[in-house]
Amino acid sequence: MMLSLSGALYLGWSLGANDASNVFGSAVASRMLKFRTAAILASACVILGALLEGQAGIETLKGLTQFTLKQAVVSSVAAAVTVTIMTFLGLPVSASQAVVGAILGIGFINRHVNIAGLGKVLVCWFGTPVGGMIMAIIAYKILAYIYNRISLDLVESDILLRLSLVAAGSYGSYALGANNVANVTAVFVGAGYLNVPAAALVGGLSIGLGILTFSRRVMETVGRRLVRLDPFSALVVVLAEAITVHIYTAIGVPVSTSQAVIGAILGVGIVKGISTVSTRTLSNILVGWFFTPLLAGFIAVALIFASHLRYVPAP
Amino acid sequence: MSQDAAQTREKLARSLFRGLFEVVMLNFLFKKERLLRSLIYSYLENLGTVMNHFSIAMDLFLEKGLSDEFDFLVERTHKSESMADDIREEVNLLMYRKALIPESREDVMRLLETIDEIPRSVELVLYMIQTQKLLVPEFLVLDIKELLRLSIECCDLVVKQIDLMLNKQEGIRALLATVDHNESHCDHVERRIITKVFDADLDPFLKLQLKEMVVYIGEISDQADRVSKRVNIMAAKRRV
Repeated sequence: MMLSLSGALYLGWSLGANDASNVFGSAVASRMLKFRTAAILASACVILGALLEGQAGIETLKGLTQFTLKQAVVSSVAAAVTVTIMTFLGLPVSASQAVVGAILGIGFINRHVNIAGLGKVLVCWFGTPVGGMIMAIIAYKILAYIYNRISLDLVESDILLRLSLVAAGSYGSYALGANNVANVTAVFVGAGYLNVPAAALVGGLSIGLGILTFSRRVMETVGRRLVRLDPFSALVVVLAEAITVHIYTAIGVPVSTSQAVIGAILGVGIVKGISTVSTRTLSNILVGWFFTPLLAGFIAVALIFASHLRYVPAP
Repeated sequence: MSQDAAQTREKLARSLFRGLFEVVMLNFLFKKERLLRSLIYSYLENLGTVMNHFSIAMDLFLEKGLSDEFDFLVERTHKSESMADDIREEVNLLMYRKALIPESREDVMRLLETIDEIPRSVELVLYMIQTQKLLVPEFLVLDIKELLRLSIECCDLVVKQIDLMLNKQEGIRALLATVDHNESHCDHVERRIITKVFDADLDPFLKLQLKEMVVYIGEISDQADRVSKRVNIMAAKRRV
């Protein structure tokens, strides 16, 4: 069983190692919060999110095509390999896009793709950075109004920002678990290998393990990008990302937390009238959007073909 | 009437919030921040002591010239200045132990670094008088007293301004304007004294010594003005 799930577990592990930086990166990189505290908090919230709200995303992804167990294993391995290659190439990678690409590759072989479900997913992909941006603009306006009105002194303002960042990070981790658990184990539900609660638990645990074991460096590297913003803006970015991802969780579509973060940073820049995201980052997102599903689909198809090859001894 | 009632309710809610905040947050959860606040207050208290010793020492010097009592006060000022350095060091260590968020850490460190120039200037003036056995001609005493009064007033205002910032009270900008006004006045008095020195029939070497002393005293209000501006920026940064 563990061998069948190995691709999914690796995917969940790398997802946790990479994406936790989007929610607790700023707090850890700025030394507001110890890595250990952030990692434990994030892992717990991810597992909680996966168990409580992971079902909708799992239902959407498993409905994109029909799977056999072998195809489920292949699609999760293809997605994991794609994430690794894209990370190695330094391109922004979305596990959600890799998984959907791999599922579509399988669907292409099966000649069965749920077009309506796919349309919903594509719209949500486009809507993720846009949603992050809109949410950041709204959150900035509302929070700034409240923050300015309660007029805090230096220490109080500091404590409030720190607590809010921890709360927003925890909420973001919850949303991450709820939204992205489908990427990890939905295909196995589609293949009838796991039921939904078991898939949520296995997926949540693998993401949590990735956070606990390998997210420190990514948190510190990615977190520094957010730390360049002032603490209030960093809080708005994390909160906007969490709300955006949570909304997509309710819709039932796994999305990229990194893209939601970049959208939110862009939104903060719009409110403050400054340039916060380079055109290079935006073009990298577009490249990632295009190549990630394509590569994952291609790898899935190639793996399926490879699995059908048989050794034929020479007569 | 209803507006008054609303304002009273708002004030009451704020006091309640602050009370709860002090009790729950500072006493139980954020001890480092509470310690930091008390250290900043100790630092300010110490600055007050330095300025007090300085004021008494200068009065004594301008009225009676150099004396043992003056030397004693110079020593006391030096001790207070050293204590200020120790407190600043303690604050910095606390910051390295992750009190406050990075941006605030930088703000507080820079603020203390800027304030620290005041006791340093004060000590410089006193040491200059003590080591160079300076003598101030009678016709300059009143002007120098005025310069001292304004400089010390600037420092007092800056301490008040920091207190306002630490207690989220309003009026920081108003104090900035007053400090700025006093500092300009100090510059004016400083120029007037230097002109008088060089117009007078004094030994050229004494003229240079007096000019140097006046410039050092003038530096106190300049530094206070820099601190005041920094406090204003820190307060402004806490509005988004």
